[in-house]
Amino acid sequence: MRTTPTRLAALTGAVALAAGLTACSGSDDGGGGDGGTADATSLKLWHYESPNGAMGIAWAEAIKVFEEEHPGVTIEFEEKSFEQIQQTAGMILSSDEGPDIMEYNKGNATTGLLSSQGLLTDITAVADERGWTDMLSPSLATTAQYDESGVMGSGNWFGIPNYGEFVTVYYNKAMFEDAGLEVPTSLDEMVEVMDTFVAEGVTPLGMAGAEYPAGQLFYQLTLSQVDRQWITDYQMFTGPVDWQGPELTFGAETFAEWVDAGYVASDSASLKAEDMGVAFINGTYPMMVSGSWWYGRLVDEIDGFEWGVFNFPGNTFNAGSSGNLWVVPTNSKAPELAYDFIDITMRPEIQAILGNNGGLPVAADPADITDAKSQELITAFNEVLENDGLAFYPDWPVPGFYDVIVNSVQKLINGSAEPATVLDELGAAYDQGVANAG
Amino acid sequence: MSTTATTTLPRIRGEVSYWAYLVPGGALFLAIIVLPFVMNIYFSLTRWPGLGDPTFIGLENYVRLFQDEVFWTSFRNSIAMIVAMVVVPTLLGLLLAAVLFDYIGKKFSGSVSSGLRAVYYLPQILPVTVVGILWSWILNPQTGALNVVLRSLGLDGMALNWLGSTDTALPSVMAVMVWVQVGYPVVIFMSALQRVDPELYEAAELDGAGWFTRFRAITLPQIKPETFVVTLTCTIAALKVFGPIYVLTRGGPENSTNVPSYFAYQNFFPKSQVGYGAAIATVLTVIVLLVAAIFMVLQARSERKEAEGR
Repeated sequence: MRTTPTRLAALTGAVALAAGLTACSGSDDGGGGDGGTADATSLKLWHYESPNGAMGIAWAEAIKVFEEEHPGVTIEFEEKSFEQIQQTAGMILSSDEGPDIMEYNKGNATTGLLSSQGLLTDITAVADERGWTDMLSPSLATTAQYDESGVMGSGNWFGIPNYGEFVTVYYNKAMFEDAGLEVPTSLDEMVEVMDTFVAEGVTPLGMAGAEYPAGQLFYQLTLSQVDRQWITDYQMFTGPVDWQGPELTFGAETFAEWVDAGYVASDSASLKAEDMGVAFINGTYPMMVSGSWWYGRLVDEIDGFEWGVFNFPGNTFNAGSSGNLWVVPTNSKAPELAYDFIDITMRPEIQAILGNNGGLPVAADPADITDAKSQELITAFNEVLENDGLAFYPDWPVPGFYDVIVNSVQKLINGSAEPATVLDELGAAYDQGVANAG
Repeated sequence: MSTTATTTLPRIRGEVSYWAYLVPGGALFLAIIVLPFVMNIYFSLTRWPGLGDPTFIGLENYVRLFQDEVFWTSFRNSIAMIVAMVVVPTLLGLLLAAVLFDYIGKKFSGSVSSGLRAVYYLPQILPVTVVGILWSWILNPQTGALNVVLRSLGLDGMALNWLGSTDTALPSVMAVMVWVQVGYPVVIFMSALQRVDPELYEAAELDGAGWFTRFRAITLPQIKPETFVVTLTCTIAALKVFGPIYVLTRGGPENSTNVPSYFAYQNFFPKSQVGYGAAIATVLTVIVLLVAAIFMVLQARSERKEAEGR
């Protein structure tokens, strides 16, 4: 009955903005190429990173460099929100009001879907020519390539990621020291660490059952049992996934055991990621298994105790992927300028800015990373990259799987269903999604 | 929307110009209500990810819908929402309005009762996102104010996992909705009470009628039109409720608080199953229209009865 006025205002604002900024009506050949670039005097650029985050800072510098190198061309930057782009990109890009280059969410349901509809430019040739394809390790490149039906992992290049992200373990060094504990290096040691905390009456792992963290922990546990082929089958449908197989069974049963053992609070089903993060920042939990996206915030907000990261003990594979992508819409009026801009963002100096501000650069020179705290995270990330160990996210394969995972893993937290039942449910939704995708 | 133009045009032209006044409203109605409604019905007969061309699949979405467990859960929850947003607030609102008007307003002063009325109405003014975030803080099982208070009173057994357990999530959401909703009937009923002729009460009082008798025999029948309005608008709001669910629980845990609008949203946007989402929205619209029609028939009947009774 009451729609939130802010959202409405934001929407109206966006529409007005889009309508007001109908720039020159350039060539509409739609084939990418270099139509209209020669005489373009502006590059309309959209992204949704906060201005003081790692990407925001690095890209602001890239815009400056671009304008210096292209006298007479101005970048019309418009800041968007993640939600705005997530929910309206299809409509905007099929209109004439869209940007010439934009940041867009990686994945089958987003970049994949739009590329299969012909709304994004195939940049394979450019990426080869400019050397971008060599800069990205295979598991980073996975999310930049999509086949004809929009499934990632093979086919043509439709975007270029500047940064990566992955799931790791944040830990409170002070609490570890007080308990006389060392950083665990295997899953067994991890269990011992958690047992020690439980014996002291401390819940060792922060958790949030209403959002992504629970599903990611379940996935991390599953990943401890798998090889690359399993991940490819799970994510790219190259082979059947056995939902009652040993890998997923280990994930679900271990998760349930961890709840029983008190490693994870049994009343965390309704908590959101924000609650978990804030609790870690407040020093309530000694550990939190979550993504590198927390890093900058923890640097800013934690004072009073030392903290660090270690990769999920024993895992070769970890949830993670390239970050979001630079894409060039088919309706871009200045594709060549857009490529020039992407090229600038991949330069070592811009990548170093990204890395020194808490981001995970994909093509930085390690020697350029001077910030000690950032080095720690980048080292952990590089460890994963060396194994080509990015395993993407559990909800990626089928649209809407996220909600199913949240609901099912809540059952594990609440103890209201057996792991095998939960896996049946997940498997049914997954199989249905795979059938729809085919 | 009502225009109060008192033009003195010739009679024939006058009739034509009435139609002219309807054009802007009619055009808006067509563009904002009718067209999307028809499009929605069309989409509900297709499979469509939101981009490209929809594939026509006939009634497949509806067949799937009626077999979908979550769909039925969401409509059962709609009934719970009607209890929480219509039945309880209307009864409670009636009581509060009567107490504020008859007792507080007379024993203390008008400003006290209007002050209290404003306080009851406050939750209605707060944006729903604020309400949702506020309550999810209060109800946080580990650090929330409610459980902290309960634990400090030694009532650890009562400090439940309010929004996280399937047993308590729906009742918790219902309690929040009562809190949000109650101000609306209070305000409407208080203004209705001011409309009632005081002579009726005085006459009844002289005849020795007590407070409850007067309430039942005079107040209730006199404010019937307002009661219809309140129950109808609140029922429609309850059937369409989205914001509080989105902010408080996202339909969880385990779908135990999912409602039709949120379920439709889940399919429209995150799942990109626009056709299926449209089918849910269509069923929801049909139910809302049915409920509204039933209300209107009941109201008309009761008015007719009253007119005959006089």
